[in-house]
Amino acid sequence: MLKRLLHNKMAMVCVGFILMIVLLGLLAPVLAPHDPYYNNILNKFQAPSLEYPLGTDNLGRCVFSRMLYGVRPTLFLSFLTMAGTIGLGLLMGLLAGYLKGKVDEVIMRIIDIMLSFPSQIMVLAVIALLGVNIQNVIIANVFIKWAWYARMIRTSVVQYTDSGFILFAKSIGHNTPYILWHHMLPCIASELVVLASLDMGWAILNISTLSFLGLGVQAPIPEWGAMLSEAKNVMASRPEQMLVPGVSLMLLVAAFNMLGDCLRDVMDPKEARS
Amino acid sequence: MRYYIIKRMLATVPLLLGITFLCFVFIDLIPSDPAEVVLRVRQIAIITEADIAQMRADLGLDDPFFVRYFRWLGDCLQGNLGISYVNPTRTVVGELARCLPATLQLAGLSLVFVIILSLPIGILSAVYKDSWFDRIIRGIVFLTTAMPVYWAGLLLMWLLAIKLSLLPTSGSGGFQHLLMPAFTVSLTYISTYIRLIRNNILENMKQDYVLYANARGLSQRSILFNHILKNSLQSCITAIGMSIPQLISGTIVVENVFAWPGVGQLCITSIFNRDYPIIQAYVLLVGVLFVVFNLIFDIIQMAADPRLRKELG
Repeated sequence: MLKRLLHNKMAMVCVGFILMIVLLGLLAPVLAPHDPYYNNILNKFQAPSLEYPLGTDNLGRCVFSRMLYGVRPTLFLSFLTMAGTIGLGLLMGLLAGYLKGKVDEVIMRIIDIMLSFPSQIMVLAVIALLGVNIQNVIIANVFIKWAWYARMIRTSVVQYTDSGFILFAKSIGHNTPYILWHHMLPCIASELVVLASLDMGWAILNISTLSFLGLGVQAPIPEWGAMLSEAKNVMASRPEQMLVPGVSLMLLVAAFNMLGDCLRDVMDPKEARS
Repeated sequence: MRYYIIKRMLATVPLLLGITFLCFVFIDLIPSDPAEVVLRVRQIAIITEADIAQMRADLGLDDPFFVRYFRWLGDCLQGNLGISYVNPTRTVVGELARCLPATLQLAGLSLVFVIILSLPIGILSAVYKDSWFDRIIRGIVFLTTAMPVYWAGLLLMWLLAIKLSLLPTSGSGGFQHLLMPAFTVSLTYISTYIRLIRNNILENMKQDYVLYANARGLSQRSILFNHILKNSLQSCITAIGMSIPQLISGTIVVENVFAWPGVGQLCITSIFNRDYPIIQAYVLLVGVLFVVFNLIFDIIQMAADPRLRKELG
């Protein structure tokens, strides 16, 4: 499987691109030519130059530095969101699928209710409830997304529960957590990876949207959505301010989406041919 | 069939109860005392214990939890969703009714955009698979799914309103004001459905009945229109129908970009003002819409597709 993935050029390009972005984010303090918070109003709206590779914004801050630092909240928050979502989804899905009976019934009803709300509304409701805060953005995103994972995982678990190797593991006396971890998880891992990489793009977009609306990462912190929100105010006179954060977002999300598609093809060669 | 419909409708009752319960718990989970929040957002300078106690009594917060829930549920069924925290002269229903038409206009026009654009484009790119048209469309679809909606809206605004001065930048007014936001809302859905329709048609083309139609020597046009489209459009239309509530809730961001005075903007303002009853009512409204539309289109699909009916036996 890994071999097939390594042979998939497109997947490797995406992985390379994402790793590069991660590296840029990690090395931001070294690579950034200026302090992303340092403003110099006399220097505003500079055209790209050697000193300011992508020009300066409405407060004279270096756009290139801000873009580099913007990688950090974007990727970090989306990563946390996905980790939380998969963690909770995995727990609930495994419990529901493996224990069956009453536990399954209760968890599935909760999932049904969770899935009856369009995600956008739920995120807003949770943020309204808990207050505008970065940490609450993550909680809200996990809160609305886990049900999808739980349902998918439950379906696969139910499918494998009666298969030979699980029954064998049971009969030689392995305990439930061991079986779930060592036998069940590897079976559903591939599906999980595909879904997660597709949803990584979703998480990035969602977090940036909230920041754009002023409900996520707040203004002075360099974040792409928040940068776009600032750029919006000077749209008529300086439209080029929208370019850098917008394109960065699009490329990153596109890379994750493409990677998800490639992974799906690799995992399931039947799909790839259609 | 009738049995199925009744069963399906009964199954939505617990779901609806769950939704209302979640919406009700929502206000109860506010980290601070709702009575205090009300007094604070109304900007009363000095808040005494007596004021809070009075407000608690007014809001009926002193009763046990389930008493309050069923009272609230009864009020909801009679169309009374309480009053706004910020402005006690305004009812929540009044506020929603004021803003809802604008949002419905927006969602309605975007639905029109979705249907008139995604159907023909999806069909064409399936029929001319791997042609330059299909390639370009696939590229565009790929880019639009990776684009933040609000950025697409801003770019459109810049291009059409500022650069070309064809349409007004934002705000509400005539039909002209509606065009750009509606198109922005529809963008994501258009790309989703182009993909869906294309894949669905390609999937259908591989079926035995198409091979059989070919063997009978029917013209390609007849096979496409009378056989393939009939089969695949059905499921696509259902999918589009089920997404209508999502379309309505998807207007939130776009309304804020284009300053469109709909429910989405009301919702964001309410979040900043901590006007919880309005948010609660909005969540309730969309949740119920979601369930109802799912029910309706489920039944429509069942009625339209004999294969599904047969499965029921």
